[in-house]
Amino acid sequence: MFQGFCRENSRYHTTGLFRVPGRPIFEFHHQHAFMKYCVEVSGLAYQFGKGDPVLRDIQLQVPQGAIYGFLGPNGAGKTTTLRLITGLLRMQAGSVQVLGQSFPRHRLDILRQVGCLIESPAIYEHLSATENLLVLQRIYQCPRSYIADALQTVGLAAVAGKKAGQFSLGMKQRLALAMALLHRPKLLILDEPTNGLDPNGIIEMRELLKKINREQGISILISSHLLPEIERLATHIGIISKGRMVFEGSLEQLSGLRQQVQGCLLDTTDNTAALQLLSTYEICVVTDTGRIQLPALPVAAIAELNTHLVQRGIGVYGIQPVKNDLETIFMDLVNA
Amino acid sequence: MLAYLHSFQSEWIKRRHSAATWLTVLGAALVPLIVLCYRFYYFELLAAQNASADIWEQLYNRSWQYMGFLLLPMGVILITSLITQMETRSNAWKLLHITPQRLTTIFFAKLTVILVMLLSFFLLFNIGIYLTGVLPALLVKEVPFPTEPFPWLKYLYGNGTFLMACLPIVALQYLMGLQYRNFIAPLGVGLGLYIVSFIAFKWEYAYFIPYIYSILAFIDGMHQTVRPVNIYLLSAGYFVGFSALAYILYIHKKEKG
Repeated sequence: MFQGFCRENSRYHTTGLFRVPGRPIFEFHHQHAFMKYCVEVSGLAYQFGKGDPVLRDIQLQVPQGAIYGFLGPNGAGKTTTLRLITGLLRMQAGSVQVLGQSFPRHRLDILRQVGCLIESPAIYEHLSATENLLVLQRIYQCPRSYIADALQTVGLAAVAGKKAGQFSLGMKQRLALAMALLHRPKLLILDEPTNGLDPNGIIEMRELLKKINREQGISILISSHLLPEIERLATHIGIISKGRMVFEGSLEQLSGLRQQVQGCLLDTTDNTAALQLLSTYEICVVTDTGRIQLPALPVAAIAELNTHLVQRGIGVYGIQPVKNDLETIFMDLVNA
Repeated sequence: MLAYLHSFQSEWIKRRHSAATWLTVLGAALVPLIVLCYRFYYFELLAAQNASADIWEQLYNRSWQYMGFLLLPMGVILITSLITQMETRSNAWKLLHITPQRLTTIFFAKLTVILVMLLSFFLLFNIGIYLTGVLPALLVKEVPFPTEPFPWLKYLYGNGTFLMACLPIVALQYLMGLQYRNFIAPLGVGLGLYIVSFIAFKWEYAYFIPYIYSILAFIDGMHQTVRPVNIYLLSAGYFVGFSALAYILYIHKKEKG
């Protein structure tokens, strides 16, 4: 299993005592360069009724200012995790800290600073876009001008007076996003916001989220089962499979796994002779693509092999390293 | 308290353009409209009726005959179910439950909206009754305005009894609307209970059926009936009991959307 980044405490602060010879006891305070997290989940577990647990010991940390892609196949436990984080399901085990506060203890304080879009858009279809936002404006008691701002941000200002029931799915998703953004939250929690959107709608939503994160500094926790979508959007990634976290780290760390060489593809003028030679060295090869695929070997071994092939009169016109693609990494992780 | 007011304002916006609002307005207007048509159908009686000393009693009895017996319980079942099911139909329970509001605030704000809608219904209905007496005089020259002063107190008392009579229906429909995630189940159970009440209203223990009180209120208004218990106290008891049960079930729901 791949290792994600080492988890740090959000406020990692150590105090210790050490003795310097010939000197009195000194006290030192060492404060790590720490990262702040807007969501910290630990030991989260859940089961519906007496069935099998759907979540087991979920650890999740969303750095402040990040776009955190919460990735996993359908049924992995993404929605259940997000519903537990937002209090839509009652917690059975573990702890959830949002914006530095314990969720069960400071539910109302936290919800004032969080915007959510859980699963399909929740909108009142008999009301106009403005009225939908007005419903929330009364609860949050934010200035009424925020309604126009939110609609402007998601590009629905022109249809503010139109009934939401007449909107396309993409427009409904954008309206739901406007409703989540209305009170200018510090954190957005979005559960599969691109579900059901056409490719154009997906691109629009992605750009919109990037813009919100960039311009308003809102941290975003977004779940999806679409790897390419998350790859294009997220700065940090958590992967869940069968109710367990199997990876958590930055996109760079996931890309680092991608750089690991899986093997080499060998192109020769005489594959049969080359295979004969390789079998004498007991190297396992695969040839189902018409090319010889070697396992991952040290660079010196590849160079030596090349020399041997050429010495036997077999022309080598290509040695191409095969790297992990993200999909392979993802599948390895979720199937592990 | 402030949070409750904000929550009520928010819930009140949701009823705009909704079927529940239309039902309130049209339901309240229907019977007075029928009575008005009936009065115009017997055009020759109009002048004499308006001149009679008990014109308002006649109109009150005629209007409440249809309303109390049939339309009011059905209207209350429909309006309560429509308001409560608004979140289910809009898939918006989760939206409501991630807003910074206590569950208690949400529960009482929604219940208040239903009760205010019910009051609006009564108000519109009474305006309708008043218009059935006044409109013929305004439209037809020969018809005089009612000479008898409008009996506010009698109307207020009568409306109060009918309002008390529907409270168990409101509470039980509200409970079912919060529990069931579909529209048909609470509506079906509500209409079923009402039909049972309708069939059983002559039974000696009928006053124990929570949906029967508007029928009994009408019968008691027409004839002096002696009952072993005060049906309005029983009705208030059912309302408090069902509301408390609805609250407990709502608060302890494991899934909030």
